[in-house]
Amino acid sequence: MAPVSGRPAFWLASQHLTRHTRNLAAFFLAVLALGAAWAGVRRASNAAATRVGAPSDPGVRPTGVPRGGELVVSIRTEPVTFNRFVKGDSSTDLVSNLLNAKLVRINRATQEVEPWLAERWTRSDDGLRYTLKLREGVVFSDGHPFTADDVLFSFAAAADEAGGSVLAGALHAGGGTPEFTAPDPLTVVMTLSEPFAPGVRILDNVPILPRHRLQPALASATLASVWGLDTPPGDLAGLGPFVLAEYLPGQRLIFTRNPSYFVRDADGAALPYLDRLVVRVIPDQDAELLALEAGDIDMTTSEVRPEDYAPLKRAADAGKITLLDLGVGYDADAMWFNLRPGAFDGDPRASWIQRDELRQAITMAIDRKVFADTVYLGAGVPVYGPITPANRLWYAAEAPQPRYDPAAAKALIESIAGGQPVRFSLLVPKGRTAIERAGAVIRDELKKIGVTVDVVALDGAALVQRVAGPSPRFDAAYFSLYASDTDPAINPDFWLSSGTAHVWNMMQTTPATSWERQIDELFAKQAASSDEGERHRLFADIQKIFAAHQPVLYFVAPRVFVASSSRVAHVEPGLTRPQLLWAPDRVAVSPARAARPER
Amino acid sequence: MLAFLARRLCFAAFLVFAVSSGALVLARLAPGDFATADLGVRAQSAEAGRLRSRYGLDRPLGAQYAEWLSRAARFDFGESMLYGRPVRDLIPERAANTAVLALAALAVATLIGLPLGVITGSGRGGLPAAIIRAGSVALLSAPPLLTSLFLVFLAARTRLLPVGGMGGSTGAAGGALADFVRHLIVPAAALALPLAAMFERLQSQAMSETIAQRFVLAALARGIPWPRVLWRGAFKAALRPVASVYGIVVGTLLSGSFAVEIITSWPGLGRLMLDALRYRDVYLVAGCAAAGAVFLAIGTLMSDVALALVDPRTQE
Repeated sequence: MAPVSGRPAFWLASQHLTRHTRNLAAFFLAVLALGAAWAGVRRASNAAATRVGAPSDPGVRPTGVPRGGELVVSIRTEPVTFNRFVKGDSSTDLVSNLLNAKLVRINRATQEVEPWLAERWTRSDDGLRYTLKLREGVVFSDGHPFTADDVLFSFAAAADEAGGSVLAGALHAGGGTPEFTAPDPLTVVMTLSEPFAPGVRILDNVPILPRHRLQPALASATLASVWGLDTPPGDLAGLGPFVLAEYLPGQRLIFTRNPSYFVRDADGAALPYLDRLVVRVIPDQDAELLALEAGDIDMTTSEVRPEDYAPLKRAADAGKITLLDLGVGYDADAMWFNLRPGAFDGDPRASWIQRDELRQAITMAIDRKVFADTVYLGAGVPVYGPITPANRLWYAAEAPQPRYDPAAAKALIESIAGGQPVRFSLLVPKGRTAIERAGAVIRDELKKIGVTVDVVALDGAALVQRVAGPSPRFDAAYFSLYASDTDPAINPDFWLSSGTAHVWNMMQTTPATSWERQIDELFAKQAASSDEGERHRLFADIQKIFAAHQPVLYFVAPRVFVASSSRVAHVEPGLTRPQLLWAPDRVAVSPARAARPER
Repeated sequence: MLAFLARRLCFAAFLVFAVSSGALVLARLAPGDFATADLGVRAQSAEAGRLRSRYGLDRPLGAQYAEWLSRAARFDFGESMLYGRPVRDLIPERAANTAVLALAALAVATLIGLPLGVITGSGRGGLPAAIIRAGSVALLSAPPLLTSLFLVFLAARTRLLPVGGMGGSTGAAGGALADFVRHLIVPAAALALPLAAMFERLQSQAMSETIAQRFVLAALARGIPWPRVLWRGAFKAALRPVASVYGIVVGTLLSGSFAVEIITSWPGLGRLMLDALRYRDVYLVAGCAAAGAVFLAIGTLMSDVALALVDPRTQE
């Protein structure tokens, strides 16, 4: 029988193989041998780790969460200080969350308050006293023990507005700032002047600082000037999961795990999971996304812009990155008019520009689907008030939601304008693409009902000066308004007529309208109530009054997308920034690629 | 030559004074202030009032300027509102980064642009000269913003070079210097390529005019080889136009590097200036503008000295 290969039958088996086939076979054999050797080494090393480890030993991972490795994240502006007490920008806050711990932490995924330095707390029957028990055996990164004195010091520093603290407002609870006392080194008592429903939730705002290092600065009213960016890393001491190893101005901050960090996971393993965390400064958002796609960074600390969704989706489909849809966000950009009494005295438009009917007509004239498609490229949800459906606890679905009805809107406009041309200017911040698109949609939609809108793009600071300066000079504005917490009681600045973020008519000495007075009263009641059901009813009433008068108009809330590299193995996404890094001690990276080249 | 240098230094001092003063006054007169930029719609809160009082923003412009001037005379340029650090400390570290980037770009542009200009201006370049000319025109028409975006995109796609940053990490493969150089390539190329094109065009035109002169013909008639006439005699004689724009180019590099520094995450003066302007940090704006003026003054001085060396008639 002739050989199938066409070669002589007397050839040895090896001679039937071509040189190429032999090379391939050799290659596969080599790979198999290497794989077997590697598996042997891994087994041996795992066995060694198991032998030396104890249940709480960081070397053992009973939960399966990978340990070690490096995470690289990006920020677009560098922090302005290491002292969170004097600046509140997002980068400074991020760095503070790496270096410091607080008494409690709001879980950004569930919005629940969880213990941190305080392991438990109780509330007195009258709702005025909260007694917090601190964890035992906690030490700062420099080895100094943590006690209640550090807590008292930190809250005294936070309340020291004259010394430059920006946290005093965040501690405002009901009628004033709480008082803190320490009956023993592991107990802190917070006493309020009147009941305040969010209770210990406000403690999430204040990082605990080392009294032994900073007491002289507080005493000499120089706390604002300590821990600037020129501080040597070794001079910073904190209770947070990381310590600063190196800061390269304008480039990067390198953090290493704090071996003294006190938190352990459910199985007793010491946190943080990461060995190293690098924060890179990448000012340009396009360059930031290119770096993410190239694998130079593992995650950004803000959400993806609508226009970046499509290219990132392609990268996600190719397995380069992970793209997460976190659902509708808590905040929507908003439009409001200048409702300050007398703002349009002598202006022929005074008869209609501040009337409720104008704003009701506008909300009916905007097709929210067109708005979502144009501004957020389809990734948006219609909204009608400041609380979006994302805030499940406080969203009032029963509040009126005006339907899209341009004919009714046009009739309403005609009824108030009395034949006058209806024209106003709309200020928008320059350079914010989504907001500029929104301005164009508002202009085009209102043109259909005979309203002329002159969209004016201004630099951010100039816009704020016009809208929130000592004498506001604007017709209408479209801008971002962010709530500092999902619990409305922590955002009195927006809701109360005396508030500094009551954008349509700020800092009123007495409420200008009856409905604002009504909101003020209901707000005070809900903030003081200890009955959660009553609080929800009262806040739903507030939302209904708000919807009836529409002092601020909301059209669409964007869906929140975040992207990370596929290395990131253990995150609990939250809707607010930094969505993937609000609990940096619990983030992990895949061990398979934990070691990465320095870039 | 000394009197010439003294005159130039006096002009440089005046330039720095005028530019920094103008920058401070303009930044102060622009709508909004640091409190509005920092606190947004809460710009009328008590915190905003404290900020304005701390930095003298609640005082009249004249009083604020006079105080700044008296302190600046003692080399105290005030405290940055944004960073809470003396401007005097912030500027040098960033200016050094910008200087490194600008000098690297200038060196690359000179080393590439001038020889190419000689080739295209010699009239004997043939097809390669035509290709070079077309490339120069294309690069000249692309602003540094686009060039840097393209290069960053290329770096990300090919993964041959880092996507932004300045590097210099001691833990990097090949050491800190190699890491720094790898990071320098993209921003320096983004700045250098349009510059090289400009140098090529200038040098080419000057060369074509120079080789038409009689001294070139005389040199050739004496039997001096063409390459030697071209690269020695004609090249040096044609350098004047390039030397005269060198000072302006240094200024352009500084202003052009704003966009490049942002896109390539290079921590230089441009980025600092942008943040200062965005936050209405008037003292930092004045400091950055002064540093920019120093760059321009140094560039102009370099240009004048180079011109004086190339063409001694300039000193007169």
